[in-house]
Amino acid sequence: MADTWQHMQHVFRDIFDDEALDLQPETTAAGVEGWDSLTHIDLIVALEREFKIKFTTAEVTRLKNVGELAALIDKKLPVRP
Amino acid sequence: MEYSQAQPAGRTSSPSRQIERHATALDYASLVKASRRLDPAATSQKLRIALLADAATQQLVPLLRTLFHQEGIDAQVYEGPFDGIRLEALDADSGLYRFQPEFVVILNSVQALRAAFGRRSGNAEAFLENTARDMTAVWDAIQSRCPATILQSNFVAPYERHFGNFDQKVAASFSSVVAALNGRIRDAAGGRSAVLVNDVEAVASWIGRRDWFDDRFWDAAKSFCALEHLPAVARNIVEMAMASRGRVMKCVVLDLDNTLWGGVIGDDGVDGIVLNAHGDGEGFYRFQSFLRELRRRGILLAVCSKNEMSNALAPFERHPDMLLRREDITVFVANWKDKAENIRAIRDTLNIGFDSMVFLDDNPFERNLVRGVLPEVIVPELPEDPADYVRAVSELNLFETTSFSAEDLQRADLYRAEAERREAAAAYGSAEEFLRSLDMRMVVARFDPYHLPRIAQLIQRSNQFNLTTHRYTEAECEALMKNEAVLPLYAKLSDRLGDHGLIGVIVLEPAGDELVIRDWLMSCRVLARGVEQQLMNLVVEHARERGLARIRGEYIRTAKNQMVQDFFAGFGFTRAAGDADHSHWLLDAAAYRPRETFILHAAEMATAA
Repeated sequence: MADTWQHMQHVFRDIFDDEALDLQPETTAAGVEGWDSLTHIDLIVALEREFKIKFTTAEVTRLKNVGELAALIDKKLPVRP
Repeated sequence: MEYSQAQPAGRTSSPSRQIERHATALDYASLVKASRRLDPAATSQKLRIALLADAATQQLVPLLRTLFHQEGIDAQVYEGPFDGIRLEALDADSGLYRFQPEFVVILNSVQALRAAFGRRSGNAEAFLENTARDMTAVWDAIQSRCPATILQSNFVAPYERHFGNFDQKVAASFSSVVAALNGRIRDAAGGRSAVLVNDVEAVASWIGRRDWFDDRFWDAAKSFCALEHLPAVARNIVEMAMASRGRVMKCVVLDLDNTLWGGVIGDDGVDGIVLNAHGDGEGFYRFQSFLRELRRRGILLAVCSKNEMSNALAPFERHPDMLLRREDITVFVANWKDKAENIRAIRDTLNIGFDSMVFLDDNPFERNLVRGVLPEVIVPELPEDPADYVRAVSELNLFETTSFSAEDLQRADLYRAEAERREAAAAYGSAEEFLRSLDMRMVVARFDPYHLPRIAQLIQRSNQFNLTTHRYTEAECEALMKNEAVLPLYAKLSDRLGDHGLIGVIVLEPAGDELVIRDWLMSCRVLARGVEQQLMNLVVEHARERGLARIRGEYIRTAKNQMVQDFFAGFGFTRAAGDADHSHWLLDAAAYRPRETFILHAAEMATAA
């Protein structure tokens, strides 16, 4: 989980071009400058590439906050031995 | 109306700009990131481009801006409202027209077409007709309201086949309707020089439809395609715009050994080299076939080989499977000098820019040498296997153009005739005697519809003998043609050795008691023949007939037109204003003494203006 969080933080900072961006589980789109519907797509694509996973359309459109997103990513990651 | 001031001082593109076109450099995230750090001060040109689409365009904007920036261009992008193609085009007061774009990109998605097809009330045929009609109505509206060049996308073929393979036999199937629409777009655009077809279908099919579409992002945000492929769409648009602005390749310089055939002719001999229509020499044969098609469409071919001349020529003369013949090669250089030096000599013979030359050589050493010494020459990597040569060169889309005229077909012959003229000149005692012997004839006339494509092409291509370098598009030329307040002229020249075709363009405009030379450009093929003297005689004569006291000339310096910096001074004009970069010149019409030329039958200048 901590690992996922770190990778997510990296992707978010990259997409929003903000090295100081500090993700919190309750962070929502409204709380991050520049997080609109299109940046959201950029973000999803970057996360898919980073974690080598795929989101469904429903997941893409319904994600509410960063904590939920992290949980979803963890669920999709292959179980490590 | 805004005209681009093309041919900047110091185009900023890097030596490897063509190499950057490779798919690896087209990473979506990197390009978006780069778009945040663009430095307009590092660009030398500006460009205004409008996007109208029935898909989201926001994601395309940073890509376009970054890719244009790599070409030294600061692009301003206008986005029409989502799905507002017709709305923007048909409303004379729309943001589109206020923006005054140089290019209007119309991007039609097959996703939106699919939805409309599903909602159709009539039959598929009516749907096809209506859709095609709506598209051309949009072009008409735009063309009637602004002089922009329209880049209309075609439709990417859909993945679904409701009848399976039988789709092909059912005109009403969705895939058949899409194919038919693409045919309509092609046909309708064919008759309009201001409309270019952005062949997105070719881009998508190269990548493959399975990867191209990502329906999740269409559903969530109306993304045109999977984001990783959007840079390919942007690149296609940028390449069309660049060609439209005059960046076209004119000559391919070819190595011989292991490029046109396998093996070393000096060692292996004509019988020993690998080249045949089937088997292991087929890659070279296919490559020659590809090059021959380029030559047929007007690209000049030159040879630059490290060889004895007699060895280099032998396959051209005697090998049964050589597709390229000696007469296909406009300049043939075989010696032991370094290749950069030879390419410079080829350039001097052809009088073209290094940036319009492509050098193809299998040897990495030679490629790197030429890249280092002549950074403007395009030097693509060639794959190790000759079987992949055509594919590798094609993928770079080096030969983008925006027009095709009869003169393209003749160009190679024109250059060869020029070589003959040089030989003839050498045989005469004096230049005067030679010029007199040529029996030159010139026709000067107002722009007409028949000559518009060639006029626009010359305007896009002439860099050296070009006083103001206004790059008018064909649509803008047409507007000039119809504008009674200006006198837009072309000049054609022929002599006993051949027809040079349309070689000069002059746009004159009376203003007060002056005749203003807005544009004056000529093909470098006809320098030192007395053409410009003959034309100046006509210009002054025209001013006198109209009772205009003075002729006003303008010179705008670019990176390439130093050749004409003293043009006006040479005719007795005096500098009225400006400096070395941009100057205005005046000539007293009454004081001008007509220059002597040997151009025998100059047609009278057309009336009007």
